[in-house]
Amino acid sequence: MLTREHALAEFDYRRGIVIPDRLTRAAHAHYIPLAEQMLRIYREGTGRLRRDLHRQVDALFEHEDDCPLRRVKAFCKLLDDAAEYDLDSSGKAAELRQRVFRLAAPRHPLRRTRSDQIPGGERTVKREIGEELQTTWSAIEASLFSDVIEFQRMLTFTGYSSASAFLSRYNVAQVQVALFDAIQLTVWAREDFKTILRYAKLARLMHSILLLPDGTHQFRFDGPASILRETRRYGSAFARFLPGLLACRNWKLHAVMSTPRAGWSLALDLADTDGLRSHVPPPSDFDSEIEEQFADRWDSKPRDGWMLIREGEVLHSGQKVFVPDFTLKHPDGRKAFLEIIGFWTPEYLANKREVLRTFADVPIVLAVANSVLHSLADLPANIVVYKTRLSVDEVLAAVAKTAASLDSAAKSG
Amino acid sequence: MSVSGHRHVPLRFDAGTLLLKGAGKTNPNEATGGIPWQWDPRVAAWRCDARHYPDLAPAILAGNLPLDDQVPAWQPIHWPQVNVRQLRPEQIKAVSAWLAARRGCVIMPTGTGKTEVALEIMRQTAVSTLVVAPVRDLMYQWHRRILESLGYDAGIVGDNTFRVQPVSVTTYDSACIHMEKFGDRFGLIVFDECHHLPGAMRRDAAAQSAAPFRLGLTATPERGDGRHVDLNWLIGPTLYELPLSEVRGASLAEYDVVRVPVHLSEEEQTRYDLLSRDLRDYFVKRTQDDKSFTWEKLCREMMHSPEARRMNRAFRAKVAIEDRAEEKLRILEDLFRLHAGEPVLVFVGSNAMARDVSVRFLVPCLLSHTRKEERLDYLRGLESGVYPVLVANQVLDEGVDLPEVKTAIVIGGQASTRQARQRLGRILRRSGNARAVLYEVVCVETGDEDRSRQRRSHDAYSGTRTRRI
Repeated sequence: MLTREHALAEFDYRRGIVIPDRLTRAAHAHYIPLAEQMLRIYREGTGRLRRDLHRQVDALFEHEDDCPLRRVKAFCKLLDDAAEYDLDSSGKAAELRQRVFRLAAPRHPLRRTRSDQIPGGERTVKREIGEELQTTWSAIEASLFSDVIEFQRMLTFTGYSSASAFLSRYNVAQVQVALFDAIQLTVWAREDFKTILRYAKLARLMHSILLLPDGTHQFRFDGPASILRETRRYGSAFARFLPGLLACRNWKLHAVMSTPRAGWSLALDLADTDGLRSHVPPPSDFDSEIEEQFADRWDSKPRDGWMLIREGEVLHSGQKVFVPDFTLKHPDGRKAFLEIIGFWTPEYLANKREVLRTFADVPIVLAVANSVLHSLADLPANIVVYKTRLSVDEVLAAVAKTAASLDSAAKSG
Repeated sequence: MSVSGHRHVPLRFDAGTLLLKGAGKTNPNEATGGIPWQWDPRVAAWRCDARHYPDLAPAILAGNLPLDDQVPAWQPIHWPQVNVRQLRPEQIKAVSAWLAARRGCVIMPTGTGKTEVALEIMRQTAVSTLVVAPVRDLMYQWHRRILESLGYDAGIVGDNTFRVQPVSVTTYDSACIHMEKFGDRFGLIVFDECHHLPGAMRRDAAAQSAAPFRLGLTATPERGDGRHVDLNWLIGPTLYELPLSEVRGASLAEYDVVRVPVHLSEEEQTRYDLLSRDLRDYFVKRTQDDKSFTWEKLCREMMHSPEARRMNRAFRAKVAIEDRAEEKLRILEDLFRLHAGEPVLVFVGSNAMARDVSVRFLVPCLLSHTRKEERLDYLRGLESGVYPVLVANQVLDEGVDLPEVKTAIVIGGQASTRQARQRLGRILRRSGNARAVLYEVVCVETGDEDRSRQRRSHDAYSGTRTRRI
């Protein structure tokens, strides 16, 4: 990930928006060959110093009209992130320095001389120290500071599969680092709720959830102190959350951004249609085979009037959330949820039990594997038992018994 | 707040804030004596910054608030082996001034033993303590001093380590990130060089802590941005202040400031003049079209203009010529000869110059990333005479304990008053009756000279002499 010193964004106060730097095929076609050259420098750069790799990358952009310094620095950082350097963790360079400085101390101060034969002169002492350490002074000087960041040697480079993969990582990284200055995020989504909430939870964000009349879910993300004052302290959490969101479908994002101008905030807007590519895998449609087979058999058509919608709704109570596997809706306004309990570690079951207790007044049908029934049978829910496949008819019967009318269904925080 | 029967409302620490859940919907602001609670609909509870805990605690203790106080996770500390040095009168005054209020700042010049004041306060307070230092070098130094003086092996949070103990040391950067995790675990929090605290993010290190006892230490509370006034509520008011003029010649050594002008070599001067002319011409040309053309504008244009980038490079090349002028190395040789046999500190303006000096004279240098063992070897080695000289970049600018040194040489560096004062403080260690000397090596007729002039505007530099070597 980039840091603030690489951040490059346009602050458009007139339009009230922040536009992170973005390289597009349309406007930056010539960056593809440049990216290829950068990748080549690193692929062929094993054994070279970090400073020299950076200088060579710098040189590529010497005469480039459209290229801020920070962009080049950001390229180097992303390339370095995918490389491994000799960090000299055993402290060889420090050991060498201490030996050299101790050997030189009795001859302090070394006098500047032109010849390496004058006793006590700089050149003479350096030559002698080289001999005492059974090498040459130039060999010593070459490794005297090899642990300093810019003088570290690259060992391997395992980065980016292609020039465009590298550039798209750059584009995402600039949005991420821009989000360091965000105060609050709002996400509107129509699907993949589980993935969105999972990444928000991993980033330790708090949420407020609202179901809008058109069926869109509005998630507002921030942190505990956000209620007290505008704070950027959750900016890095927003940045960590972003790749998960980018992997999802059908969403819009609006970030409120603090700016260097006191009293001004700007917006950063983004949607799935903007085409930023995530490096995390897209969410799979189904958690388990049982789920997938069940959805296949149900088909997209209604059964007895019931529509089956994957992850159709987010149930929430305070900071606890529950996204049942399916929402079932009937044209007459009735609604029910279906949760399939498909695998069975004790922790998983304990967690499910806790969740179902929190959302006890929600009309839910549980599909429970025969093998775990004994540990869940006491739950106050309608249970359908399955062995290897879940029967559509049995679920329909249970749903008919359980469903409630829409207005009394979801419990809201 | 609703006081329903004998039910006590739980008060919890939650991620750097205090959370009051179950107190009803009436704002408890009035009932708690003016604490700015906010209703948090996300968790259906009242919330405020953890720093307000000290204002709540007395009323809770007195039984005036029907709260079930679950906040303090700190504990009494028994110090394994106390070995605190005998304090001087001004240090004793500082300790008792703080003990009378237990929340506030102590202002003492560098070299007058702030650390000993803090250690004595820690000893007497004997509660879980977090010490916050500006950089990791100082964090390690606190760790060592706590071990020596109080016999306690403190936890470390920072420098890729996360080991929290009832007594711990950390840096401002780590503290403002992690305070939300452990702001309830320390009863006393010590902010070393506390002028660093009021930064936009760093202040969270105080705002998100519930510590009822707070000590700020600094030689220089003022900040360029005026935010030092916030120390009043982040830590507490100034409880004790020892002015520099009072200690000069008393517990600190007398000192001279000797200014040594150097000239650029012919080749350097030629390059310098070329760069200067380029820059001047460019600015003249630009200001003809645009009266308000500034350096800031040029920086913005660097995005689209190779010429602007070239000017920026020219400017940095100029600074580098001043910073690394060859003549400076020659002057160093003379000064080293003059002070042969006694420890000498050299302060430089960049890592590159630090390495230049180090490689030229084969003397150790401290860079910002020098590791702990090597750093200790150099500091102790300078003290014991193993090494004749120590070269340092910014690392040593603040509070790092140095062996007694009476000779320091400043080459390059920035013009800020604080930096000048701290650099001076370094050589003003209590060191018997010998006078200390600070040499300031500056290029004449370059930006270096302006900076030196600015530096001398501070009273610590009064009486500067210029000497040709």
